[in-house]
Amino acid sequence: MKKQFIALFFALGVLTLAGNAHAQAIVIANPGVKAVDISKGDLKDVFTGGATTLKGGSQVTPVLLKSGSAHDEFLSAYIGKNDTTFRAGWRSLVFSGQATMPKSLDSEAAVVEYVAHNAGVIGYIGKDTPHEGVKVLAVR
Amino acid sequence: MKQLLIGAVALALGSIPATAQSIDDLNIQIHGYAAQGFLYTTHNNILYTNSSDGSPSWTEAVLNVSSVPTPKLRVAVQARYYLLGDSGNAIVLDWAAADYKVNERFGVRFGKVKTPWGLFNETQDIDPSYMWALLPQPVYDVTTRNADLAHYGGVAYGTFRLSPSVGKLDYRIWGGEEVIPTNDGQFADLIASRNGPLNPFTYVTYGGALHWRTPIAGLMIGASDGHANQGAVALVGGSESFTAWNNVSYFAKYEKDKWMLAGEWNRQASPGTVTIIDSPVSDASSDPRAWYLMATYKATGKLTVGAYDSQAVDRDQSLGPDRYTKDWTVSGRYDFNQFIYLKAEEHFIEGTSLSFENSNNTVLQPNSDLTALRIGVSF
Repeated sequence: MKKQFIALFFALGVLTLAGNAHAQAIVIANPGVKAVDISKGDLKDVFTGGATTLKGGSQVTPVLLKSGSAHDEFLSAYIGKNDTTFRAGWRSLVFSGQATMPKSLDSEAAVVEYVAHNAGVIGYIGKDTPHEGVKVLAVR
Repeated sequence: MKQLLIGAVALALGSIPATAQSIDDLNIQIHGYAAQGFLYTTHNNILYTNSSDGSPSWTEAVLNVSSVPTPKLRVAVQARYYLLGDSGNAIVLDWAAADYKVNERFGVRFGKVKTPWGLFNETQDIDPSYMWALLPQPVYDVTTRNADLAHYGGVAYGTFRLSPSVGKLDYRIWGGEEVIPTNDGQFADLIASRNGPLNPFTYVTYGGALHWRTPIAGLMIGASDGHANQGAVALVGGSESFTAWNNVSYFAKYEKDKWMLAGEWNRQASPGTVTIIDSPVSDASSDPRAWYLMATYKATGKLTVGAYDSQAVDRDQSLGPDRYTKDWTVSGRYDFNQFIYLKAEEHFIEGTSLSFENSNNTVLQPNSDLTALRIGVSF
């Protein structure tokens, strides 16, 4: 019984750690973006079409990953939606004439490349993905 | 005005090639969706269908093309095929607009634009965007969608960041001309009695909306007020006229984790009369006060469930079932993937003030249950 209890406790611990492992995605921006950090609220607003400006006045445009673990982790950790509801939200803006769908790219390397060469673009990648030419925004 | 606005949007569209950008740079996107529904009622026929026998006459398909030629300019057009019972069955221009966003505080879109009153009006006809098969009908009546959804004119919009302890304030100000086509659902009974309108019903409209995104994460509180000037339309053998009226809404929405809670109170009083030659003048006034409370829960990654209670009382009607509607609804939506979804919904309806047209019913029963199914695909 005691062993079972310890095993259960261990399993719960692993699950808890797994639940906290969502900060594997990092937020990157074109070096021209003035901000050095971004609040969770602003990040969610930018990536759900609710804002186009960061605190401090930087105009930003989001770019998305089409799929992948970094995409899922980013949505889970910072947007609070899965891919289906996230894209449904954007489609509702598109079909009501309030926005166009952000560009979606196939790979994290493509996101880095696109962010590095386009003014005001903000994106996300896995923390281990090379990201020369872009700045990393700390999420407050 | 309509021609002027269409011309302006066409000019904006025509200016795209002049920018000499590639198709990729123009960010041209094509999106669309299609949805097929099924309605069954235990009593009464609802929404212009023969729902008491089970009706699949509930179809829509939408195609959207948009372009972003410059970072601040966006142009888009959306066409819709729509069928609901005896109404629609035509391809119409849903909206077409050019949108110029100066900065976060100020942008303007003009053309045929969505009218941003209430909590859901801008998205009420976009089936993939919400979990319900039918939004609360006392406020978002699907049979009069043409009248309430869009107008020819413009919308100015923007967001003001207040202090972090106060939140953000979104505003919308709109104005222009409302054009209700002759086959709109609100004329169903007149058309059935061979007294339908001879031409579209047009009137001037304007209004404003405020959405306060409070410092409490996920909580938004808002209000809107739309005004319609008096208008009249010639009928076969008569006329219908309305005095000026307002569409007032107060609403709130709270989203946290897997939960979404929302509520709205709405009043759309429209005093009017119908005059048919050789008949006494009849009162076409209505003064419905409506509200709803809804909750949804994301049960799994693919399944969302929810319920709402919506009620309306038409103070211009005499006492009885015609004066009110009470609708308890339970609903579920299953997303097979990001493209295909299925909705199933049960309504427990008391009263007949809304959605039960005389033309489709000989004798109305005071209570009726409605089963609504919908399957859709979007891209």
